[in-house]
Amino acid sequence: MTVAERFHQPSVLPGFGLTFGFTTFFLSALVLLPLAALVVMAGSMHAADFLRVVGSARALGAYRLSFGASFLAAGINLVFGFVIAWSLVRYEFPARKLVDALIDMPFALPTAVSGIALTTVFAQNGWIGRYLALAGIQVAYTWIGVTVALTLIGMPFMVRTLQPALAEVQRDLEDAAETLGAGRLYVLRRIILPTVLPAMLTGFTLAFARAVGEYGSVIFIAGNLPMKTEITPLLIVIHLQEFDYRGAAALGLVMLVMSFIVLLTINLIHSWGRRRLVATAR
Amino acid sequence: MSITLDQVTKRYQGSTVVNDVSLDIGDGEFFVLLGPSGSGKSTLLRAIAGLTGVDHGRISLHGRDVTHVAARGRGVGLVFQNYALFRHMTVADNIEFALRVRRMRASARRARRNELLRLVALEGMDDRLPAQLSGGQQQRVAVARALAHKPEVLLLDEPFGALDAKIREELRRTIREVQRELGITTLLVTHDQEEAFALADRIGIMNLGRLLEMGRPDDLYARPATRFVATFLGAANLLLARQSARGLCFGTDPVIVPRSESAQHVREHEVVAVLRPEEIELAPARDALLCAYITEGTVGEILFSGALQRLRVRLHDAALGAHVLRSDEAGEEPFLEVTRTQHEQRVFPLAPGQSVTLGVRRLHVLPTPLSSFTVCAPSEELAQSLARQPLLTELAARMKTRIAVQVEAQLGTAPGAGEPLAPGGEDSSLMGAAVIAARNGAVQSVGWLLQRGAEQVLILPEQALAPRRVLIHWVDESVRRATLAVSASLLRHVSAEAVYVGILPQDGTLNARRPLGMRALLDARSEAQAVHGFDMRTELRFGEASGELAARLADSPAQLLVLGISDPADLERQFASLVNNPGWPLLIVYEPGDATRVRTRPRAADLLRLA
Repeated sequence: MTVAERFHQPSVLPGFGLTFGFTTFFLSALVLLPLAALVVMAGSMHAADFLRVVGSARALGAYRLSFGASFLAAGINLVFGFVIAWSLVRYEFPARKLVDALIDMPFALPTAVSGIALTTVFAQNGWIGRYLALAGIQVAYTWIGVTVALTLIGMPFMVRTLQPALAEVQRDLEDAAETLGAGRLYVLRRIILPTVLPAMLTGFTLAFARAVGEYGSVIFIAGNLPMKTEITPLLIVIHLQEFDYRGAAALGLVMLVMSFIVLLTINLIHSWGRRRLVATAR
Repeated sequence: MSITLDQVTKRYQGSTVVNDVSLDIGDGEFFVLLGPSGSGKSTLLRAIAGLTGVDHGRISLHGRDVTHVAARGRGVGLVFQNYALFRHMTVADNIEFALRVRRMRASARRARRNELLRLVALEGMDDRLPAQLSGGQQQRVAVARALAHKPEVLLLDEPFGALDAKIREELRRTIREVQRELGITTLLVTHDQEEAFALADRIGIMNLGRLLEMGRPDDLYARPATRFVATFLGAANLLLARQSARGLCFGTDPVIVPRSESAQHVREHEVVAVLRPEEIELAPARDALLCAYITEGTVGEILFSGALQRLRVRLHDAALGAHVLRSDEAGEEPFLEVTRTQHEQRVFPLAPGQSVTLGVRRLHVLPTPLSSFTVCAPSEELAQSLARQPLLTELAARMKTRIAVQVEAQLGTAPGAGEPLAPGGEDSSLMGAAVIAARNGAVQSVGWLLQRGAEQVLILPEQALAPRRVLIHWVDESVRRATLAVSASLLRHVSAEAVYVGILPQDGTLNARRPLGMRALLDARSEAQAVHGFDMRTELRFGEASGELAARLADSPAQLLVLGISDPADLERQFASLVNNPGWPLLIVYEPGDATRVRTRPRAADLLRLA
């Protein structure tokens, strides 16, 4: 099969050529070209300079915080997003619609607003922060604060991905498992979780990707101490403010590569799992 | 008994989905619950499985009361319509699910799995995923999975619903074989009568949450007790007929002559007769009939359906046509449905428009006392408006019966103080239940109607609602039988709970009479259950009957009172305030107390000899 033939698949839907053309155009103009520019700009640096910027202790600390906190936040969302989605799908309670609408708030709010709000609440004299301080836990201006902000930002991704998947889990399956002697926990572990696992992975991926790129809400609550609470996007902005465009591009490239590797890995796990679940005809 | 249900009731959002169902299913029996969708049969099945609670009543499995035991402790196997297989597990994992939950050793699990796969003829499919199997195969896996933990009872909820005809038949056979081989008590729920006939040792038929009748398939088909079962189980023509000392007549000539001497004393009354389409014979002339003659007709449409030919025959005699009961297609000319075998078609070929003579080989009279409704009012206009009363039309539609209209000027006369209305002529005796509007002076009207031969009088207020509760009371024990029979007939067609109200006078002898009152309650309940197959609550109240009943009726809206009396004078003496303009529907059942007028309602067996 030649390349040309491969693009000439007979299809019930007309207009494949047109839509494919648009797809490639938009992907190129909006995603691929800017990314290429980033690579070119970073590539125009001397290797030594590049390594100095990218490998500096400050940068390494920022990577660790960015990816670590994002991973942790997505993990927290995996658990609590599941609980929220579960209660929204499965139970009827007063103001359920209201709670359902609140889930989307982090989507709509300018991230800076969320950041300010979180800082107000979690600062040492804030509503929650003052009690946490008594227990010796400081949230604002530490990595914990960063994680809290990223959890908030990622939560709707998790809940909205899981909701339809959970709604699709047939009650009959649970009923069947129950008549076969399974307890609630066993049903959750062996029936419900495996069924919604793909959706959970997708939600995790989305929440993680969003958290890695998050900037606005974090910079208020993080305190931005170099090496400690400084995230990579902020470090890039600092480089930009010093007119060090190449340095910023270099850091951006590193984030790009690392994000790509993480997302690709998750997607591979995902499709491996799908192959196991959905049968291919023999 | 493997499955015992005792007065199981389930309500959902105010309506009663399962209404006082009592049922015993024996060891190793294959019982099929048959009913239209929404009849409560699936809810009942889920209640037995423990997936839904009950509001009232008890459920026992093998003598163990499991009413409050969770599903996983009940030891039942359940098969769903949509298979409900775990799609992320292989066939083997699905079947072994119950064994894994019970932490059985792997080798024992494998042995059991192989045994089950052999049983449902799916050997070697262990490693497939459900998505790789056809619908029929998936349902086999579901059956194997439900049997893995050796349940004492197998429950099947419309298991063939999603399959096509051929596979359905094959799977049906498999399930029957598996059931026989294991000797497991099985309860299957379906809306498909063919399925029920093919599988069942016994069938129970549900409608509106009630278990109407149960019995062997052939018995139920040949001798249904209710209109619903007669028409739901196979096709049936329902006809109103007059039963009298001369026999059973549709028109003027008796179709059936009484066989026994006892039938000679039968007072003329209306009955509902069931004519199965295959029991009607068509012939070119009356002489050519091999069985009892009914009437003449014209062949309407003819449908070919494989082995049988289905015809509609319009009746020439309009008066007789009016006796054919149809709930649907109101405007159409009355017709009888007839089916003929290939042989009959060859002997007497027919074309639409041809005139034929109809005869009947066998017919069955329903033992139901409520045959039809006759609205009685002083003017045509009032009668017509009463005949359109929503509760009445709803009842008539559900009972698949008709509402006749009779103008009785006598009913309009203003009632003098205790003065009886002029008696009507003997020739125009009333048929079916008389219906009158609620108004002051209704007591006199009722007395007059009872004299005219009415056995039931329904007093209907304009705004009467469909009853949620039916109160039953009789003045003395001699009318118990008649009142219970009418109540049973009514309760089969409304979704209401039944309450028998026993009333003892509150006087010096109360303590002495209390045990008797209790016994009367128990007798009433056991007769309702044994003879009519319906369950009712019982209440004992103390005081004056009319006042106590009025107080009970004032409790909540949407109630109906069935009142049994043996002496019309009782009405005016005791119940005048209750009967005159009641705010609720009131059904009066009259059975003369004196022995000379005792009438026996002939059983079907008495009618089998055809004229």
